[in-house]
Amino acid sequence: MSERDSAWEWNRREFLRGSSLAALATLLGGVRLVRPNATAAESESVNTERVKVGLIGLGQWGRDLLDQLLRLPQAEVAGLCDNYTPMLRRSSKRVPDAFATEDYQVLLANKDITAVVVATPTHRHKEIVLAALEAGKHVYCEVPLAHTIQDARVIAQAALKHRRQVFQAGLQLRSDPQRHFLMPFIRSGALGRMAMVRAQWNKKTSWRFTSPNPEREAEVNWRLSREVSTGLLGEVGIHQLDQVSWFLNAWPSTVHGFGTIAFWRDGRDVADTVQALVDYPEGLRLVYSATLANSFEAEGEIYYGSDAAVMIRGSSAWMFKEADAPLLGWEVYARKDAFYKATGISLRADASKLKAQGNQADAQTESADPPVYFALEAFVRNSREVSNAVRDFESLYGDSDPSALTEYLSKGVRRLPAADAVDGYRATVLALKANESVVLGKPIALSPELFELS
Amino acid sequence: MMTQLQKTSRETLRKRGLICQGLRHSVRQTGLCLLTSALCVTAAEGWTRFGPKPGGNSKVRIEGTSTIHDWQVESPLVGGFIELGPNFPRSSQGANPGKLDVRAEVFVPVSSLKSVKKDGTPYSTAMDDIMHEKLLKTHHPRIVYRLRELSLKEIVSQEPAKFTVEAVGDLVVAGVTNQITFPAQIQIHPDNHLTITGEVPLKMTSFKIEPPAPKVALGLIKTGDDVKVLFHWEVFPR
Repeated sequence: MSERDSAWEWNRREFLRGSSLAALATLLGGVRLVRPNATAAESESVNTERVKVGLIGLGQWGRDLLDQLLRLPQAEVAGLCDNYTPMLRRSSKRVPDAFATEDYQVLLANKDITAVVVATPTHRHKEIVLAALEAGKHVYCEVPLAHTIQDARVIAQAALKHRRQVFQAGLQLRSDPQRHFLMPFIRSGALGRMAMVRAQWNKKTSWRFTSPNPEREAEVNWRLSREVSTGLLGEVGIHQLDQVSWFLNAWPSTVHGFGTIAFWRDGRDVADTVQALVDYPEGLRLVYSATLANSFEAEGEIYYGSDAAVMIRGSSAWMFKEADAPLLGWEVYARKDAFYKATGISLRADASKLKAQGNQADAQTESADPPVYFALEAFVRNSREVSNAVRDFESLYGDSDPSALTEYLSKGVRRLPAADAVDGYRATVLALKANESVVLGKPIALSPELFELS
Repeated sequence: MMTQLQKTSRETLRKRGLICQGLRHSVRQTGLCLLTSALCVTAAEGWTRFGPKPGGNSKVRIEGTSTIHDWQVESPLVGGFIELGPNFPRSSQGANPGKLDVRAEVFVPVSSLKSVKKDGTPYSTAMDDIMHEKLLKTHHPRIVYRLRELSLKEIVSQEPAKFTVEAVGDLVVAGVTNQITFPAQIQIHPDNHLTITGEVPLKMTSFKIEPPAPKVALGLIKTGDDVKVLFHWEVFPR
């Protein structure tokens, strides 16, 4: 059971009641709003039971994941795998003790490794993930789960069959405490009637990697190949498209994507600049844009309601209230930042550091931990908990009653919030359909059945 | 006088959990198992083995205090066995206070203990980690209890048969063994299963556990040394 499951059923009244603790804290002299269900305790040096993790795919993103895994006290990076030797060697230098191989089958055959993180190119996920599940490993699979909806469905269905194992989709925002803190603002109706959502991802980068030989160059630039690339909306937009759907607790009925090669005219046929209009129930629409040509304003989302707007930028967020909006009670005392002609009330989870309230300079700084850190922490911890629960259960009852074990795993295991196979599948469907719309140049209707795993 | 062979056979069968299955032939007896008033037992040996099964309502709960509020942890997994010998009363008739033939070993996997709120809903994964660390989970994954002696003290009710007993045994927590004595109640249900319940007061420091004092958002929490262990163990004939 997730610690934050209760957050799924929010209404305005409960939300206001829940924020009274924060209000009290602010009246006592503090000015920041902090996540009410902040982590209860930080132990100084927990002699933690560590999970041996294997990382498959050591490209740029794989190495970012490695950086975060090495920071996690609960994880031991025990295996590294990449089919390209220089990449494998590069990461092996960072973790000399880890078992290194170019063949993922060899890594999966290593019984010491109980969990694997799959960060290969999207179109290579299926084969590896299915083999990993079959080998009894817990699996963290990057998103999109696959480059086709059919493959994504096969992956998600296989994950659901392996109930003794954790399957986590790499939708890292779903594990981010800041997002869990912000979700009730959207869900509770604190913003009034929702009018629209805007989201963007801007970064000046070519998406092209150079390589000493043409074969490797083709392999490493899979994002620029129309056959296997899921485009900007698939590879990058999936996180924000999913976050909006998650916050609104709804899946869209239509997506209309637009794409152009605005700047990187190097012979590619995958758009470097895209927009998408995504229709949610009750006339609510997300306007999304992403470009590889300019980095101004980077990444962010803005939720517009009739009473207030919430702007999310990385681990920071602000609320901008309308003059005629009712008071929520705490915001008078909260910290405010000026943005051109508007004043935003700071909304930050602040990761349990109530003590930071007295220190404005510290309070201004961004949280040190990116969402992917929390996602991997959830994966490693949940893997450990599920492995222990299976072992404990079978030490009493043996393996004769799988349904009783399944029930124990659903009730007796305390999981940190993370995207599961169904979440990963739905997000993949939306992102792939959005990209398909860009490629086709016309809107695509999304039937509710499309989001169901039959 | 039992021959060595018979002893060996009996041990082997007990290990396999076969010796106590109702309506089965025992090693020495050629046929009948006697169905006494409540329990079916193997006649000649007179020992019946019981163990937990999935879906039972077993629970162990540890309650403690701290400078901010009381705390509690729970596990639904109580493993092990209990064997009732020939002189264990199968009903309230013929039950007399005194020492009983009972063998038992009980364990709780440390990682299955979770912090809960008063109402039993989940409390905190961070607190779970602190508790597991204090119980030295990685080195001592189980809390183990080995019964040395059990005495019948009192018949609580006739139908269903329920007795108060006093248990003397060794409790191993975080690798430290202490002999403890506590009262418990054993109820024999009409369908032959047993419920064993009780409460045991303990001190963390007796098991060389320094009461946790985690640093949290609002400062330092200090937990009290005294804890109470409550257990409810449901076991079924094997």
